[in-house]
Amino acid sequence: MTTKIFKFEGARNSGAKSWYMQRITGIILVIVLIGHYILMHATPDTGHTYRAVMERLHQPVWKVIDLTFVTLGLWHGLNGLWSVIRDYEMRAWLTIFIYTIIVIAAVVFWFLGLNTILSF
Amino acid sequence: MSLQNSKSAFSRWLDVMFRYRKHSGSWAWILHRLTGLGLTAYILLHIVALTGLLKGEAAFNEEMRLFSSPVFLFGEWLLGALVMFHAINGVRIVLIDFGNGARYHKQILIFVYIFSVIIVAGMGYLIFRHI
Repeated sequence: MTTKIFKFEGARNSGAKSWYMQRITGIILVIVLIGHYILMHATPDTGHTYRAVMERLHQPVWKVIDLTFVTLGLWHGLNGLWSVIRDYEMRAWLTIFIYTIIVIAAVVFWFLGLNTILSF
Repeated sequence: MSLQNSKSAFSRWLDVMFRYRKHSGSWAWILHRLTGLGLTAYILLHIVALTGLLKGEAAFNEEMRLFSSPVFLFGEWLLGALVMFHAINGVRIVLIDFGNGARYHKQILIFVYIFSVIIVAGMGYLIFRHI
């Protein structure tokens, strides 16, 4: 019932877009995840040293892959968290407070990730 | 708006939570939520950990040595279990929402559990064979 707090949100913004995008980002994440697990977890030899990471990070293709992974992963995770929060009826100020925290976390951690990837 | 009766909202929530009869799909839903929350916490940690790259080669390799200790390898495996269940059950959710999965969601769920156990067991072998 948290939707009642946001009275300005009509049926057009009832969360349908978030629901749809949660699935789309999820599908992309599963695909990238398979590559990530084969590269990073199947053997301890591939790519955990500073040198190996640098070799990858200096190629634009890897930068794009990493940026996609960070952006979609963060969005999918925090949008999921928000949709869990939305399931519970809380006082308006608390819902808005939690929403604000989530948005701030999204921005801060996204810039942290971006900064790491784009520094090299 | 809420809180019309004497019980707190939280204890009413707990009541509903425990009283609801849970079918297989309910458990999948609960597991998907819990693993999702865990993974969200982890991705934030992961982003922070990788800022170690900015501290230079020696500091980063030292960090990676810590992450390859047995305790962290066990954590890697546990985390992998969360990831694999969430990913495979996520495919099931997409099949239900976008495809014709609603007709077969219970059968798909059995497949999800079996597939998850196989993958997590295989991952355990790949991770721990080097210790």
